[in-house]
Formats: sequence, C-alpha cells, structure tokens
Amino acid sequence: MDADLIFSAGGTMAMAGWLALLASPLAPRAADAIAAQAIPLLLSIAYAGLILAFWTSGEGGFDSLDNVARLFQTRELLLAGWLHYLAFDLFVGAWIVRTARTAAMPFWMVVPCLPATFLFGPAGYLAFSMIRFARARATAPRFAA
Amino acid sequence: MSALVASRAAPAGFDLIGELRRREPRFAAMGLIMLMLALPTAFAALVDTRMVGGVGVWIKPLKFQASLAAYLLTLAWFAAFLPVGVRESRWYRRYASVVVALVGAEMLWLMGASVFGVASHFNRDGGFLEAIYPVMGLFAIGLSSATLVYGVLIGRDARSPLAPAFRASLSLGLVLTFVLTVLAAGFLAGGQGHFVGEAAAAAREVPVLGWARDGGDLRVAHFFATHAMHVIPAFGLAAALLLPGRRGVLAVRLFAVAFAAFTGFVLVQATRGLPLIG
Repeated sequence: MDADLIFSAGGTMAMAGWLALLASPLAPRAADAIAAQAIPLLLSIAYAGLILAFWTSGEGGFDSLDNVARLFQTRELLLAGWLHYLAFDLFVGAWIVRTARTAAMPFWMVVPCLPATFLFGPAGYLAFSMIRFARARATAPRFAA
Repeated sequence: MSALVASRAAPAGFDLIGELRRREPRFAAMGLIMLMLALPTAFAALVDTRMVGGVGVWIKPLKFQASLAAYLLTLAWFAAFLPVGVRESRWYRRYASVVVALVGAEMLWLMGASVFGVASHFNRDGGFLEAIYPVMGLFAIGLSSATLVYGVLIGRDARSPLAPAFRASLSLGLVLTFVLTVLAAGFLAGGQGHFVGEAAAAAREVPVLGWARDGGDLRVAHFFATHAMHVIPAFGLAAALLLPGRRGVLAVRLFAVAFAAFTGFVLVQATRGLPLIG
C-alpha cells in the first residue's frame, strides 16, 4: 500500500464527510454518524496503523520545532500527520454542526465555518466560537431590574 | 459506537455482543478490544515492509488478536454455565480481572516488539525482550488457567441444569485445553523456534496458518490443543441432542480421549520433523 494512494483515499473520505455536514439539515443523525464517528474512526485506524509501522523509523520528536521538522522528513509520518488533520478537523466540523443545532443557530451562519475548518482547521473553530459568543450576547436576556 | 453496530435494521432477536457482556463483562470487553485492535494492526501489516523470521512483523500480533478474542469470547459464552453464584463472588471477579490484565500485558509485549521490528518469541538479541520471555510464558499459563478453572467448576457442579453429555464435554474440553496447551506450548517455548527438521524456515506452508509442509511444526499441536474447548463441546452438544443420557456422556468421553490422543500424535510427529500436511 502506497503513501500517495492512502493520501488520496483519506482526502476523498474526508471530503465525503464535509459534504455530509453541508447536507446535515436534511439528515442530522446520519450526518453526525458519518462525520463525527465513521469517517474519523476510519482515518484514525489508518493513522494508528501508520504510527505502529513507521514511528521507530522516524527521527526527531515533538519537543522542538526542528525536531518536528525532522519527524516529518519520513514521508509516512508526514502522511500520518496529514490524516491526523483530516480526522480531527472533520470531528470538529461535526461538533460545530451539533453545537449550532443545540443553540438553535441558523444554518447559514454555520456554513462558512465548515470550509474554514476544512481548509484552516483551528481558524474555522475560532470563527464559529466568535459567532457563537457574539450571538449569545445579542440574544441573552437583559438584566432583571 | 454501539449505535453503529446494532442498527435499527437488526431483527428484534439476538444481540450477541449484549449477551456476551451480560454473561461475562470483563472477558467480553477484552475480547472485543482484541478484535478492534486488529483494525489498526491490519493496516500496519499492509504498509509495513519489515520482516521477522521471514514473515511480516504484524502477522503474529494479528494471529494473537484473533485467537485471544476467540478465547475470551468463548469463555464469556461459557460463563453462563458456571455454577450459580460464582460470577458474583469476589474471588472470581478478582481472578477474571487478573486474567484480563495478563491478556493486556501479552498484547502490549507482542505489539511492542513489532513496533520495534524485532521478534517477540524466541528473541535472542540479549536485551529486554529476551529477558522477559520466560515471564511472558508464565503470563500465558496464567491467562490460560481460566480454562482449567472453568472446566473444574462446571465438571463438579452437581446442580447444573445442563444435559450431562454437554456438561461433560464442556468440562473435558476446557480442562484438556489447559493441559494440552501447556504441554504443546511448553515444547514450543523450550526449543529454538516452531520449525523442526528440514525447514528451519519453511519453504512451503499451509495457507493462513503458515504451518510447515516440508518439516515438523510444533504449532500444529498448539492449535489443536487450544481448540479442544471448541471442538469437544461442539461434539457434546450434538451427543446431548442425539444420544440418550449415559450413552451421550460415554461418547463424549471417548471423543475427548481420541482428541487428546490425536493432539499427542501431531506433537510427536512434529518433534520427529514430519509435517501434518505434506
């Protein structure tokens, strides 16, 4: 099994998850089962397999930026890092959709957060958090006199 | 997670995982973990090119995940046949926890060795793995002892509601599993490896199991020994359904003796450097 093939497959699966999230108003439970559980789990299985297979052939570690760069010199570990992004960004995307639904946020406010999370991970999470905070203040009851 | 496994589409009938959990929660949980571990391990096997003893480094962990899952889930199923009150007793609950801990330790060892790309069994590198090999052997006897405990408890339960032939088959199957496995594994562990004679590293192998076809393979006896707990009770179930009382018990005893003799035969055959399937 070839690293580039795994990369493509991972990307395709993640894409399917994001499309499910965009369609979530039509089928919320199915979207959640796909995007919060099934696809992140599949990506996690692949990630764990790559770590089991390639961790000891990598150099470096997590304790300095230079060491992280060294770690990612091993192509399969770079692939694992990428799958890590795909899995967790999707997981966060599903969380955003669920949280917005619980807070009765209109879906059009959620929509821009999804590609933001898909492409720029934490930036999408930040965007959603800011919208959520801003709305909470706007819709909170006034102080009782 | 269970929502993914037990769908609404399943008939209002049998929830196997739920039943196993109900009968023996610890063994069921660890058995399920063994099955789930096989997923990332299988992926690792697909991407990892490293070999040990001519075989991919992840094959052994996969075999153990499958067999430990079968072992634990079978015991979980059989737990329903233990005498009343055993499963609630404190000694049993502690014992079952120890068995599960030993299984976990074995899997950590097996997967740990594969992460480093070295042999777990028969490791002669002079390091940590070589030193703990005898300890892992003791752990293996410890986790296998559950068959002896179950076998004796079921065999001596005069108040069991089970058909006599089936109860005898459970008891004999479980006790024989323990005795024969310790015997076969003892032979295995005491040597240099599982091959004897012609094939120090087998040229031709039986598919899936990888048994040598050119020489003796001590794992064959190990396989039959561990499966006594499946084969003999299966026979016992049939005997209980087809034969009246005492004759069923007799048939089971004869079958158990024959099975033990066959296992002894393949063990001796292997030690003489001969394959079971040529």
